[in-house]
Amino acid sequence: MENLQSGDLTIEVAVTPESVFRCTWKGKSNERNPPEILKPWFEKLLAAVGEKQGSIEMHFEKIEHFNSSTITALIRLIQICRKTNVKLAMVYDQTLKWQRLSFDALRVFEKNDDLFHLRFA
Amino acid sequence: MSTDGDFGFSIDITVRNEWRNVDLLRTSVQNCFTAVFADVDGCHAIAMVTGELLENALKYGDWVSGDRARFRLRVHGKASQVVEVSVQNPLKGDEQHASTLLKAVEWINGFAKPEQAYRARMLQIAQNDEDEQPSRLGLVRIAFEGNCRLHAKVADGTVTVTAALDLTPQAPA
Ligand SMILES: Nc1ncnc2c1ncn2[C@@H]1O[C@H](COP(=O)(O)OP(=O)(O)OP(=O)(O)O)[C@@H](O)[C@H]1O
Ligand SMILES: [Mg+2]
Repeated sequence: MENLQSGDLTIEVAVTPESVFRCTWKGKSNERNPPEILKPWFEKLLAAVGEKQGSIEMHFEKIEHFNSSTITALIRLIQICRKTNVKLAMVYDQTLKWQRLSFDALRVFEKNDDLFHLRFA
Repeated sequence: MSTDGDFGFSIDITVRNEWRNVDLLRTSVQNCFTAVFADVDGCHAIAMVTGELLENALKYGDWVSGDRARFRLRVHGKASQVVEVSVQNPLKGDEQHASTLLKAVEWINGFAKPEQAYRARMLQIAQNDEDEQPSRLGLVRIAFEGNCRLHAKVADGTVTVTAALDLTPQAPA
């Protein structure tokens, strides 16, 4: 699985021996239409994860900023992962107030099914 | 940016309509306020609000026949009080966006707390399976993450959206 590099945003992927696809977000997601870039990349990621029957861990601790349309793309990812039974975790830095607010709000999508969860580093 | 004895400040500039200016101004505002105040979280919130409002002006403003001189960013207020971020842009003739904007602001202000509006909008987005364009999360994010009151005004072919951020230190929950 290739990293994503677009404008100010980089997402680095590392796959653990347990097939956890660890995706580390760096820089800024500030494009006019982030879903245009993120959606096709998420689709490739999901295909690679599916092949290995793996899971996804999205790390946001190092991201400086993302715009609201990026959050919409993340909500869609959560939905797709749940539908396709792919485990997804989002990891954030709770010492940063903006990350705490953005990610704590996503807890509305946590259910008892263990498919999606949030945690802080 | 000017400050006086009681830490009053104001930024008031005309902006060129280029997408890269969103990030240039967002980071500039963040750096300016970080240089003045110790409240890093508050500075990030002011910067996020600035970025979202500028993005909207560029996405929905009239950059073909509109008066470009009417693209303006203003940030003013006093430390540890209310900071107002306001963006003005020329409006497209059909006014469709203006009515969407006014309705969105009214919808958000109708909730007792902005976090309820944010939650409601996130759930709506999740329910709409199809890629709905645009996402309509920006203004509600401003209200929630910026702990803001929003106000929008449409007059003479110009839109002005103002977010008033309450930076008064909150009592711990
Ligand atoms: N400055 C503006 N001029 C004209 N219309 C605006 C302006 N700002 C917002 N609007 C209208 O209000 C709607 C809601 O804006 P909001 O920022 O909440 O969401 P969005 O820009 O559609 O999506 P997102 O910010 O999540 O990418 C816009 O879709 C647009 O129709
Ligand atoms: Mg917007």
